[in-house]
Amino acid sequence: MSSLTKIPAGVQYFFDDEVKLRRYVERRAMEVFAGWSYDEIILPMFDYHDLFARGMGEEKAERTYRFVDRDGALLALRPELTSLVARTVATRFVKRERPVRLCYSGEVFRYDEPTERAAREFHQLGVEHIGEPSIVADIEVLLVAAEVLTALGLNGFRIALSHVDFFNGVVDFLKLNDTNRAQLRELIGRRNSLALDEFLNIHASHIEPSRRTGFSRLIQIAGKEEAIARAREILLNERSRAGVDHLAAIYSTLTALGLEENFDLDLGDAGGLEYYTGLTFKVYLPDWGVEIGGGGRYDNLIASFGEPEPAVGFSLALDGLVGAISLGNDKQELQSANDTQAISFNGDLARAFSQARELRKQQKQVKISAR
Amino acid sequence: MPDNKLTIALSKGRMQDGALALFARAGVIVAESELNSRKLIINSTDGRYSFVLVKPPDVPIYVEYGVADAGVCGRDVLMESRAGVHEPLDLKFGRCKIAVAAKREVVGQDYNLLATVRVATKYPRIATDYFHAKGVPIEVITLSGSVELAPLLGLSDRIVDLVETGRTLEENGLEVIDVIAESTAWLIVNRASFHLKRAEIGGLIAQLTEILNQ
Repeated sequence: MSSLTKIPAGVQYFFDDEVKLRRYVERRAMEVFAGWSYDEIILPMFDYHDLFARGMGEEKAERTYRFVDRDGALLALRPELTSLVARTVATRFVKRERPVRLCYSGEVFRYDEPTERAAREFHQLGVEHIGEPSIVADIEVLLVAAEVLTALGLNGFRIALSHVDFFNGVVDFLKLNDTNRAQLRELIGRRNSLALDEFLNIHASHIEPSRRTGFSRLIQIAGKEEAIARAREILLNERSRAGVDHLAAIYSTLTALGLEENFDLDLGDAGGLEYYTGLTFKVYLPDWGVEIGGGGRYDNLIASFGEPEPAVGFSLALDGLVGAISLGNDKQELQSANDTQAISFNGDLARAFSQARELRKQQKQVKISAR
Repeated sequence: MPDNKLTIALSKGRMQDGALALFARAGVIVAESELNSRKLIINSTDGRYSFVLVKPPDVPIYVEYGVADAGVCGRDVLMESRAGVHEPLDLKFGRCKIAVAAKREVVGQDYNLLATVRVATKYPRIATDYFHAKGVPIEVITLSGSVELAPLLGLSDRIVDLVETGRTLEENGLEVIDVIAESTAWLIVNRASFHLKRAEIGGLIAQLTEILNQ
């Protein structure tokens, strides 16, 4: 086996126009973040495995690339950036005024099983808004995400909103244990109503059939305002109701801003629940089959590293954004008007290079020819 | 503007006719001439749907990656692929079983739990999960067809395979030991299409549900 004939699974090389496109997308996104007063933070490529396990949970931290420090401590390449931001804010930013707004751009590394086809190295662009518990921060980060997509010419984007308390309210109501809760989440994630009915027959036999039927319809609830109305018809308890009310308030603001085409409600989305505590959302683009990003409120994470603090944020996959832009015809802006000046050498070294330096002073692109 | 035509991936072979018949009942007609052609992408007469005909295990892949908005494939394929797709509807045709079988003369014998059982199958994940859940270590031999042959020639002790009528097994002196799961055709949907083409996908699911409940 030779390192010249094999490439490790999931690694990527970029060159030519693709590099230009990636840099362009990164720059535009960071400009938008800066426009909303998010300051960039540069984070370490690796840290203690324990930090990520605390941040994203043991199970997800299993997917990290791990290695040992010289003293034998277990390290991991960063699988995500939010935990690193959370630790920093909980420790070194204690005395700063709240809210803290931070943004980042960087690679993360993880095995994404079970789809072993997927890349293992991803570039994420994201923001974290820490210290503000209200709906104001929720709406702000949604608008930041929307502006990034618009700035990149990806106008057909769709952001699907959900709320963990909608699902958690159901779990409370059914009095499920952790194993069953996980199973329920999996079934809902797959929108498998048949398996869900079977599950409810076993675990919710104490509930009258008409309410059970209502619940198995929950996973199909997605859409615009009518989805809120439908959800309200079959709400199970206070917790679910509060979740839906919160979403309704966000959605009406987005509608008032003329963004209803780009936002959707998806109450059947129950992903990332061990991490999120309120609003959650996923970002989709036309002709791009997988979500290109997502986020939500995670009010319990910071407490893992210090005092409890509310927080909300999101990240977008640079690879997804670049891929989606490549599908369209939005690349013109990349073509720089900067035409290259070829300088040939003609026997006089000093003259050729002095000419090149003059052109460089005028910010012109030069290319030296040795012939 | 996103294209609102729906692309549906269908399993070639066993499931294809059943799937097209179901779509025809929903008013989505594919002309005979299209079906008889060698085209890999065929269109419905109303132009609202295009169908891609692919090998069964490829259906979840096309749908997961979003090159097809939805697909029709067997539960067996779905269990094996573990693709990240929505599974909104059991289409209730193409019924068969994913079963463990062995040569008739060894059927009564229990596994020697200390020995590794050799299992030939087209479903390495399903087979591994099944035996591991029973605490039986196995060596999986992944084949792409004629799995029944393996125990006859001594390649494996057991097979995990799809059983429709059981005739092939019977004629080859094999017998079903256990049924891992029932399998039927399912409608699967890409996660992004679920949002981006909500009206079209929702309409399709509603229409098919109505037909299935008739």
